Amino acid sequence: LTVATESPPLERLKAILGEVADLRHADSILDWDSRVSMPHAGAAARANVSATVAKLAHEKFASDEIGELLAELPDDGDTVDAALVRVTRRLWERARRVPAELTGEMAQVNGIAVAAWDEAKAASDFASFAPHLERQLELKHRYIECFPETAEPYDVLLEDYEEGMTTAEVTRVFDRLKEELVPLVARQREHEVEELRGPFPLPAQHEAGLRILAAFGWDESSWRIDETPHPFASKPGFGDIRLTTHSDEKDLTSLFSTMHEFGHGVYEYDIDPAFARSPLGTGTSAAVHESQSRTWENLVGRSLGFWRWFYPRLQGLFSRELSGVDEAAFVRAVSAVRPGVIRGDADEVTYGLHIILRFELERELLAGTVAVRDLPEVWTEQMNEYLGVDVPDDAHGVLQDIHWSVGLFGYFPTYQLGNVVSVQIWERARAELGDLEEQFSRGEFGPLREWLREHVYRHGRRYPPRELLQRVTGSQLDPEPYLQYLRAKFA
Amino acid sequence: VTAAALDRLKERLAEVSDLSRAAVLLFWDQRVMMPPGGAEGRAEALGTVSRLAQERFVTKEIDQLLEELRGLEESSDYDSFEASLIRVTRRDFEKASRVPPELVGEMQRASALALAAWGPAKEESNFEALRPHLEKNLELKHRYVECFDRADETYDVLLDEYEPNMKTAEVREIFDELKEQLLPLIREIGAAGEVDDTFLGGDFDPLKQRELSLEIVRRFGYTDDEWRLDQTAHPFMSSSGVGDIRLTSNFRPTDLTSLFATMHEFGHGVYEWGIDRALARTPLGTGVSLGVHESQSRTWENLVGRSRYFWRFFYPRLQDTFADELGSVDEEAFYRAVNKVHPSLIRIDADEVTYNMHIILRFELEQDLIDDRLAVAELPGAWNARMDEYLGIDVPDDARGVLQDMHWAGGGFGYFPTYSLGNVISVQIWERAKEDLGDFDEQFERGDFGELREWLRNNLYRLGRKFTAQETIERVTGSRIDAKPYVRYLREKLAPQAV
Repeated sequence: LTVATESPPLERLKAILGEVADLRHADSILDWDSRVSMPHAGAAARANVSATVAKLAHEKFASDEIGELLAELPDDGDTVDAALVRVTRRLWERARRVPAELTGEMAQVNGIAVAAWDEAKAASDFASFAPHLERQLELKHRYIECFPETAEPYDVLLEDYEEGMTTAEVTRVFDRLKEELVPLVARQREHEVEELRGPFPLPAQHEAGLRILAAFGWDESSWRIDETPHPFASKPGFGDIRLTTHSDEKDLTSLFSTMHEFGHGVYEYDIDPAFARSPLGTGTSAAVHESQSRTWENLVGRSLGFWRWFYPRLQGLFSRELSGVDEAAFVRAVSAVRPGVIRGDADEVTYGLHIILRFELERELLAGTVAVRDLPEVWTEQMNEYLGVDVPDDAHGVLQDIHWSVGLFGYFPTYQLGNVVSVQIWERARAELGDLEEQFSRGEFGPLREWLREHVYRHGRRYPPRELLQRVTGSQLDPEPYLQYLRAKFA
Repeated sequence: VTAAALDRLKERLAEVSDLSRAAVLLFWDQRVMMPPGGAEGRAEALGTVSRLAQERFVTKEIDQLLEELRGLEESSDYDSFEASLIRVTRRDFEKASRVPPELVGEMQRASALALAAWGPAKEESNFEALRPHLEKNLELKHRYVECFDRADETYDVLLDEYEPNMKTAEVREIFDELKEQLLPLIREIGAAGEVDDTFLGGDFDPLKQRELSLEIVRRFGYTDDEWRLDQTAHPFMSSSGVGDIRLTSNFRPTDLTSLFATMHEFGHGVYEWGIDRALARTPLGTGVSLGVHESQSRTWENLVGRSRYFWRFFYPRLQDTFADELGSVDEEAFYRAVNKVHPSLIRIDADEVTYNMHIILRFELEQDLIDDRLAVAELPGAWNARMDEYLGIDVPDDARGVLQDMHWAGGGFGYFPTYSLGNVISVQIWERAKEDLGDFDEQFERGDFGELREWLRNNLYRLGRKFTAQETIERVTGSRIDAKPYVRYLREKLAPQAV
């Protein structure tokens, strides 16, 4: 007597997706470890291990079997299972479009190009990086060709990070922002704000960071924080949230990078645990993710209420360094608008222009209207036009970001869309929760966090970004609340 | 065609190796870095990655490639990379393909549950709470044994998992000799009066212990570029890839054992570090057996780290660091204290001599269990009786008796003997090194350990798993495994007249 033991398609699908998630978990630890704890000499062996794990995850996910299971499963209705099928189908169809050879070639070129970028940046020598950038663009064209039904090539790239977003919509939003930001930045140049004077000893910076995290609601049994040159957040698996920050004695930027990464971390932490080991168990898009890092870094962490609560505590930790600085002067110093050449150091107002410049140049490069060899010159011109700054060399100009060297085109806009989305969600939270700043001034962040958990975080990737935004705010992507916030704060 | 088949095989094996290294890192991370909240997700991830490594090894493709490569294996020199790779892969493959994946999964699950029960059972000294888990583990072990051809003794199959090709009868012969020689030695030492080691208990700053540990292993060959050292309650070594060797030690204020734990783990680490890098990403790129691995941890912990000349070099540094605690203790008194032989309850705290009796006891009880001469329910009684017989001590409770080690809960029956085999092998290799290089006294006194390390690397470490453990030992020492040099070493170093 034999009994058919084949499990129903949905169970089988979940089992395979669980294995894929486990491999991604391993990949995430391999990556985190290589940036936090790996001895240097382990890099070459690590590259092999990561490549194998990533390849296996891709093979398991882009399999015929998943396709067959998806064909049997309905995806209509507002249930979690329907969302799982819908999200899986979308990712599977995209994964299947791209031939394995192209995926392999892209991974290989990334490895070579990022090393070339590293050297080129150190030597401030764009010419040595140019051939690699050309190669990356060529691969992007081939990637775009895998999606022939998409009329606008850049849409294909955007779709990887921001489901449903179009170039036309980004252009509309960014043009509107540019219109207001360029003059706003120009006006700010007249105010001179005094900078903070360090050095600020690192142990006290770490202590301050931990106190803030504790108040925001991190829990030691599930989180950790480490030092890295380029801060990031990662979630290898549920109940395991890892932030990194970068501390420098000369200023207090580590506090803001800690709050920024907390925003990414708390979004992942608060996702419904029932979504563990499935494609639903992560944030819904790059922009919505960034909206939360920006919320905790800027809307909370640069607010008057926050500093009313925390500044006396910070002064306690830096009694010598901050003795002559009053609260108002401190808040002015950490919120000051100072046009500069580096995106990563940019303030709330100028940041958007750094992004808009990159978005425009990416499109020009892909369209061939700007040649790679002319890029530094165009970059310099645009920086001058938008921000009125002179780019001293390529290291502080076109070579400053890692993104293009690892083939990330179409990613930059999500940073600025995140800013836009953050204020839309924020306005809604304020409408429901009352005076948030007053709560912050008492060290109370729980109501905000709980509201965000309920309305945004817990849903993971259940709703596409567009739908989530509609559910939370009742409207579509809209730059006006963000502009209003900036005008109110900086005009 | 053959060259293509070999490349294909290497490619497949490299993937398997990559997955195993990923699992090693997940395990290290779990013990060292992971917030406790991540435990559940990590268990799933580790399970999947380990299973995939197994699944991608036991495949039709690898089976066929091994067939196609028979000719190449036979026509190649036995010592060559190609012949060794095909030979060792075939042996691994034949063994792995015997055990159905479902049984592997069931054993993993059962041992995970048993380990979870072991912690609280030990805490509460409640053997009854662990008993059903041990029974389940043993039942699964019987099923595991049935997957293989009938061996001379059931225990052979278990031993083979940790010390390939070693037979129970061989181990018994070696252990009988140890028992016969060591029991009188323990009595002689006991009769000579107790050595004072009270000054080894105190308040030693853990951070300073870590600094001293690093200072020592840097002398041995640790570099910041390729190694790291972290804190864990149960020290271990892990290598997640070439150029990436990770040690842990337990830095606690109450004693100085962290120094010895660090040297012990360094020995495991330097073995992995010294393997020929051309063997990386193949089944040959790791240590050959647990016994040989342990021989190297014991070499650096005991033969080096408890030697007179090592302490002649390092004791001034230690005394300087802990002036309050050790200022009035001279080098001789310290040397005698860290080499004190005294029967005790806990294996991991045991000295060089009595340690082996802890192992022999476990080895004998394991055989009784697997051969059904002893029921699990009777285990605590049998344990306590034998502790009294071998070491003359009363076991006050099961926490400090049969529940002290996690091995049986983890399903590791057949693992324990490799510890004492390691002790035996360590001195065989050591004597051979001294034959080639002369004694190390002056070098150690200067803090120079490079010549020993390089000799071990050239003669042992670089071989990886190219040859069997027996072949490896014979190639290095010129003889088979033999307890006599070890017994002689213990006597010369620790018998009362010699002290």
